Amino acid sequence: MRELSIRELLEKYGRMLGLNILAGEAGLDRTINSSDTNRPGLALTGFVELFTVDQIQLLGNTESEYLHSLPDTRKHEALGIIFQFKIPCVVVTGRDRIVSELRQLADAHGVPLLQSEFSTAKFNHLLHFYLDDIFAPQITVHGTLVDVYGVGLLFSGRSAIGKSEVGLDLVERGHRLVADDVVVITRKVQGILVGCSPELLQDHMEIRGIGVLNIKRMFGVRGTRREKRIEVVVHLVDWDDDFEYERVGMEDHVRSILSVELPEIAVPLFPGKAITVIVEAIALNYLLRVEGYHAAKEFNTRLLNEMQARKISRAPHSDRE
Amino acid sequence: MVRKKVVINNPLGIHARPAALVVQAASRFTADIFLSKGDIEQVNGKSIMSVMMLAAEQGAEVTVAAVGEDAEEAVQTVADLLQSNFEGKF
Repeated sequence: MRELSIRELLEKYGRMLGLNILAGEAGLDRTINSSDTNRPGLALTGFVELFTVDQIQLLGNTESEYLHSLPDTRKHEALGIIFQFKIPCVVVTGRDRIVSELRQLADAHGVPLLQSEFSTAKFNHLLHFYLDDIFAPQITVHGTLVDVYGVGLLFSGRSAIGKSEVGLDLVERGHRLVADDVVVITRKVQGILVGCSPELLQDHMEIRGIGVLNIKRMFGVRGTRREKRIEVVVHLVDWDDDFEYERVGMEDHVRSILSVELPEIAVPLFPGKAITVIVEAIALNYLLRVEGYHAAKEFNTRLLNEMQARKISRAPHSDRE
Repeated sequence: MVRKKVVINNPLGIHARPAALVVQAASRFTADIFLSKGDIEQVNGKSIMSVMMLAAEQGAEVTVAAVGEDAEEAVQTVADLLQSNFEGKF
């Protein structure tokens, strides 16, 4: 599981989240492992069952008002309840005055105390927006990712089968390369997979016989893009006379990546085959399916209707027999 | 040329899925395989669109013909499949 220290949180996202540190600098190396926050309102009153300790403790308006309402002697006591746990940090939202006991406890326990200029709702929203990707499940796969007519096609297949060459050919035809050879795949909310290139390799490609190419330099900005949702897996395979390739397109095959199922199409290759055109057809056919038009099924319905009509017209004759 | 006439038994006829199985079976032979039905002349038994074009409904008569080394076996296999009910799957 990925972790983010409060130091990194401040350095990389501090400005976007409107954060400033007020106390507890000694604890900047404490870490978080999710973008969820905990509102410790009930914990302040003494109810600590189900208290989520490993999340950012967020003190919003309600908690601040409650603390201010307490007699000075009780403030320290109430806050002491949450500081007895090993919490990563405390964030106070809004521009309200901070009770002095909070600073004291943060320094005493070495827990960073941060204040965000944004409201609780906005802070939570921004936190998810910037941090969800960091904590999202991620894997690296061997393949090539290209945006073809807006459809993210992930090419897989053995080394040297020609994934990069297909990618190059597609860029030549106006499509956009996302990643070649190594694709970093992140699972976003609701089973959406997004692929990108490792930073070092971005915009580059290796073609056997030529070497490393900079696709962005060769084709301009339109030749590459930073990330793309992956929608179809195109599995390139060597032509095999015994393999049963899909002929009608009625059967849907799937590939599971990070527990997300994607349609997979196996395309057999042999020298001289115009693979790029086939790949473009895969993307366009996918777009039609997204719109609800399934060519193979529609065709089969047409065929079934035709046969039904013939069967009916045959019926009187068979009666006479 | 080896020939055999069969009657289609599958209730829905030779639609996409059965046709795919017929083509798959036919493609395993080296012999050229032809199908014909009524006024439709011979079509290539190894081509999916051709086989579907026959629109062979239940009760229709289809002739299977083959030329080549394994023609005998090819006709038998394809004919058996055409008159089967595809294990009731389609």
